[in-house]
Amino acid sequence: MSTQHSRKANEFVKDTAVVDRHDATFWAVRSRRDTMAHEVPEWEDLREAASRIKKHTVTHLADYLEKFAANAGRNGVQVHWAKDADEYNAIVLEILRAHDVRKVVKSKSMLTEECGLNDSLIAHGIDVVETDLGERILQLLGVPPSHIVMPAIHITREQVLECFRAHGIIEKEGRKAADSMNGDLDKLVAEADPTFLTRCARYHLRDNFMTADCGMTGANFGIAATGEVVVCTNEGNADMSTSIPPLHIVSMGIEKLIPDYESMAVFQRLLARNGTGQPTTVYTSHFRRPRPGSEMHIILVDNGRSDILGNEDHWQTLKCMRCGACMNTCPVYRRSGGYSYSYFIPGPIGINLGMLRDSDKHYGNCSACSLCCSCDNVCPVKVDLSTQIYKWRQQLDSMHHADPMKKTMSEGMKVMFDHPGLYTAALRMAPLANHMPSWLTGIAMGPWCEAHDMPRFAKKSFHQLWKSGLDEK
Amino acid sequence: MSRLRGNVRETYDMPDLSFAKLVYPDRVGAFIKTATTAAGASVIEMQEGDDINELIRRAYPNAKTIASNVPGVKADLNPDDVAKPQDLDGTDVSVVAGSVGCAENACIWIPQTMKQRAVCFICEYLVIILDRDNIVSNMHEAYSRIEMPELGFGAFISGPSKTADIEQALVYGAQSFCGVTIILR
Ligand code: SF4
Ligand code: SF4
Repeated sequence: MSTQHSRKANEFVKDTAVVDRHDATFWAVRSRRDTMAHEVPEWEDLREAASRIKKHTVTHLADYLEKFAANAGRNGVQVHWAKDADEYNAIVLEILRAHDVRKVVKSKSMLTEECGLNDSLIAHGIDVVETDLGERILQLLGVPPSHIVMPAIHITREQVLECFRAHGIIEKEGRKAADSMNGDLDKLVAEADPTFLTRCARYHLRDNFMTADCGMTGANFGIAATGEVVVCTNEGNADMSTSIPPLHIVSMGIEKLIPDYESMAVFQRLLARNGTGQPTTVYTSHFRRPRPGSEMHIILVDNGRSDILGNEDHWQTLKCMRCGACMNTCPVYRRSGGYSYSYFIPGPIGINLGMLRDSDKHYGNCSACSLCCSCDNVCPVKVDLSTQIYKWRQQLDSMHHADPMKKTMSEGMKVMFDHPGLYTAALRMAPLANHMPSWLTGIAMGPWCEAHDMPRFAKKSFHQLWKSGLDEK
Repeated sequence: MSRLRGNVRETYDMPDLSFAKLVYPDRVGAFIKTATTAAGASVIEMQEGDDINELIRRAYPNAKTIASNVPGVKADLNPDDVAKPQDLDGTDVSVVAGSVGCAENACIWIPQTMKQRAVCFICEYLVIILDRDNIVSNMHEAYSRIEMPELGFGAFISGPSKTADIEQALVYGAQSFCGVTIILR
């Protein structure tokens, strides 16, 4: 069997050291997440609450959007609506032109990536500076992210050093960076010391914060009751981006809305614990009004979301808060890397979002799943990720994408899922491996088995979980 | 909007959020533990008769420029008076007041009570003054207590700015302050 995903994955797994490091890194993040989960006795209550708040909000989205926009307007914020990527890019450009903006500092936003904003702005002569360290490194290297929370995870320190050197950052900021650590410049450069490189980036970005005409952020949450947006970062780059330039533009997918502060508490507790295994992000910043003497704009972007809402099998992807936990745990993602997926969001959620975006382009990703269900078990908002992937596979036939091999695979899966006893036995003996891509079977079964190790906190058995996942439909 | 309304098949109610939440018998102790471990901050417990300016000096003896508008704090720069936010660049230590602290994750709510909020982020080190009595156990309690100031900005801050973007190595001092000292009074 050969799909676009498996072909690209084959390239990635050629370098076993890289694969092992990638795998180990994300397994460590997944383990930290488990530790965090065990520290909170009401963990499962939180997940259930988060899932239901999102279900409630997205099925009342029009009402909440109206409320949000009205409140934001009262706060002195200018609200815009964009139905698709083109409209969104045009609105941003118009705002920037009206303010004669030449340089934008940007904090990480998956939505701008989705809409191709940077290319659009650069094409119009606007300087765009990503300020999340990982994103900045990728921007300077000219490569896309490979993970939604840890975008530059696949880049080595030596590559970062080389890149900073090529852009004159070491030459310009190296001395200051070394002094700030009371360190020896030559030694720090020779070691490609991560703290040193981070400091170089700090001073390099500081210059940009000082001289930018506009700060752009995404929004992790929009709060309907108050009309404010919440942005969560560890680096403080969203706060730096918005507390200095005289213009702040927020780009927000319409599914980011939640009702109020009471709901916000639920998501705040889940986001970082799930995403990176920390009890919180360093900054949870609430933006309600423009700074005195400056402007704040919020652009609400649909770009296919209202269609997803009408999709019986896949509307629950709208619950996603982009924490990244499902990719961290996914044995296929961990061993094949972000670039093996054709959509810019990789992993379990990316498979589904890619199919919803353009199934002709992204159906190959559907093979990047062994249906182990680990993603379902970690997702803080209980998106039924593997059920959805299974359904896509079923549909590939009618979409004329099923090749005979894949069809056998899907049918094999169906037989197993229809016969729970068989499936249990199958898991024990792991003949499922027979149906797995060669590059996965060629590796040790370690991570595969780990992924089957049900979290200790699960109150339901695997089968109950699986069943309730189906019953929710 | 009409498409959004038309595409909804089944509506769901808002869930009941009254389930039992994590509470600490010793909130202050738990807060200090999280702040000094997971968050990577330092904590000074102010005693009867301590002078706040002396505590700040002792924590950052090499600081040349201190910025603050907190009454009683001696500062070289005042974020209410500077002409533009850029003027605060080069601040060694900023001193701000937090209104609610949360034990489970060491978050402290910093409402914008100064004209230029850049003061909270632009400094090399941040000092946060917090009343012991304002420490709660969890974020549910924190969100029920915080108030948005007139200026329309506030942030929960938990320790120094950090990144692990280069090979997962944890580094303090990404784009914002490199260290945090919390003064509990
Ligand atoms: S079910 Fe599929 S997508 Fe989900 S974690 Fe397992 S292999 Fe990955
Ligand atoms: S689907 Fe769930 S686990 Fe995956 S990124 Fe979204 S919220 Fe996180």
